[in-house]
Amino acid sequence: MRETILQGLEQVYSNLGHMIGEFLPRFLVMLIIIAIGLLVAFVLKHILRAALRLTKLDRVSEAAGATSVLRMAHLPPMTELLSRSLFWVTWLCFVLVGLSVLGIASLQEQISRLLRFLPEVLVAILILFLGVAIANFLSRAALLAAVNAGHASARILSRAIRFVIWILAITMALEELGLARQTVISAFSIVFGATMLGLAIAFGLGGQELARKDLERYLGSSKKEKEKEPEPL
Amino acid sequence: MAEDFFLADDLLRQLMSVGEVDLLVGIFAHDAANSFGPAVEAIEQCARQDFVRERIVIVSVGDGDKGPDSVGEQSPGNLLEKNVRAPGITSLRTIHRVKADFSDPPSHGFALRTILSAADLLRARACAVISPATCNLTSGSISNLLRPIYHEKFDFAAPLYTRHKFQGLLARNLLYPMSRAVLGCGIRELYSDEWGFSGRLATFCLNQDVWNEEAIHTRPEAWMAISAISSDFRCCQAFLGEKTQATRGTGTDIVEVLRQTVGTLFWCLETQQPLWLERDRSQPIPTFGPAHELTLEPTELDRHRIFEMFRSGVTELEPVLSSILDPETHAEIKNMVSLEEGKFRFKSDLWVRTLYDFAASYHHAVINRNHLIQALAPLYRGMTHSFLVVHADSSPAEMEAANEMLCAEFELQKPYLRERWKTKVEVKS
Repeated sequence: MRETILQGLEQVYSNLGHMIGEFLPRFLVMLIIIAIGLLVAFVLKHILRAALRLTKLDRVSEAAGATSVLRMAHLPPMTELLSRSLFWVTWLCFVLVGLSVLGIASLQEQISRLLRFLPEVLVAILILFLGVAIANFLSRAALLAAVNAGHASARILSRAIRFVIWILAITMALEELGLARQTVISAFSIVFGATMLGLAIAFGLGGQELARKDLERYLGSSKKEKEKEPEPL
Repeated sequence: MAEDFFLADDLLRQLMSVGEVDLLVGIFAHDAANSFGPAVEAIEQCARQDFVRERIVIVSVGDGDKGPDSVGEQSPGNLLEKNVRAPGITSLRTIHRVKADFSDPPSHGFALRTILSAADLLRARACAVISPATCNLTSGSISNLLRPIYHEKFDFAAPLYTRHKFQGLLARNLLYPMSRAVLGCGIRELYSDEWGFSGRLATFCLNQDVWNEEAIHTRPEAWMAISAISSDFRCCQAFLGEKTQATRGTGTDIVEVLRQTVGTLFWCLETQQPLWLERDRSQPIPTFGPAHELTLEPTELDRHRIFEMFRSGVTELEPVLSSILDPETHAEIKNMVSLEEGKFRFKSDLWVRTLYDFAASYHHAVINRNHLIQALAPLYRGMTHSFLVVHADSSPAEMEAANEMLCAEFELQKPYLRERWKTKVEVKS
């Protein structure tokens, strides 16, 4: 009886030793991979940051209105954001590779799924960001053009443009992620169609006078009105 | 010789057949094709009357679609024959004509580059650029531009015109005082259709690496004037009389004019910053003829509409202006919007700070630069309204005194611009 127990314990001890003997090197390999990843990510981050500073990306980003979008979201400037993103993406990839070395079957499956999904998430974030930047730029352009042309509802027009582009960007991002694809497309079509129909009805019924004035000004009397301002040069 | 690689073979052939010249007159032929003939006539008359012994070439740059008055329809030989037959002819030289035609109308920048290349190649001593868009261009006007360059050895001659007191308000309230205070460039008509320059300056400008810049494409003359002053070329102003202009594309489209003029001025501030950040005082520019002439005929201007466009512009553009202007400046402007039209005045110190904020924000590119220039339009309208009210009954002397005070205000506040220029502007979202 006692011998059986001792044999059992020896067996368990031997198995445990065997398992630890097998796991420990893999764990060490994982740690080494993660440490190397940290180093590589750090180096890449600095290289990218220096390259982006040379190309004066922050200036371009400010001019395009992207920096103000980042500030609204309490994010760092474009150069810092991209270099930090590269750091985290690189390190995350190394961490996932390191975890896969452990050889845990269920974990490996989850990791491979995550790796497959990661590019789509990044593309969706990029679409959203570009959408917000484009919406800001175009809505400001519309606002300035409408104000300088003397339109009364300049800000409404500007906001409408921003709203439509945001909706478009969100729809595209969700579609990229594959989330409720049919629902998203249907919802977008309904919202977009309803907005356009609403604008058409509002302008057609409620804004007949405004439309007439605008058309008159556009087609005939704009020159006359301009002449009432002194020549600038 | 400077870069001539972009000159077409045909143009080079024409230039080589001309040889060296003393005077060159360039014409932006595509500006107003109908007035092209009278412009050429004026140049020829100028040659016969004032430059009898000089070798002259007329270089017209256009799109090759100019109708019966085209300069190229008469060869140099025919011209000589025409000159000989003309009554009262005194010119002893052939007046050569060279035609540079392009399939599409060239930009003013490209047309000027072609003229500068021709001047450089032909070793012209004095040159002038004229535009047929100026309807009342006379031989005397062209002589007035060429004479200081040819006889007095100046390098740049800017024109001066007789103006209506409410004409050229952008030049009077913004371009002239700001360029004078910041760049030391005391040229009143920084943006004009006619100006003169020496062959030396032509070669210098031709060698600058700016010809692909957007600012140069539409209005290169301001850049040329500012380059001349900043590089210590001798500059002067010459009085040309009254200016009557044919209708052109921009007309009084304020936004387009602002984009072409203020955009170029801000761009020049950026390219010339090592110079103006150090320089404090502007240099007086010698003037040939009266320094300024104002006429006082009554005009029909819609002051109320101008004020309403200012008011609605400042209100609607609040988020855009808040990212451009200093908070204090912006608050003062917003306060003005609530004033009644009769009590509204745009104070000169506020106007100067506003413009300096715009210039600094342009430099820091806080928003898209084209948008930034467009956002200036309502404020310019506010200043215009204020000017029309204040000077409704002013005499030319009073207006000139007010303009001098505005120039002094620009100079006084130059340290503010320096400070804003060097400090990174925080963008508000």
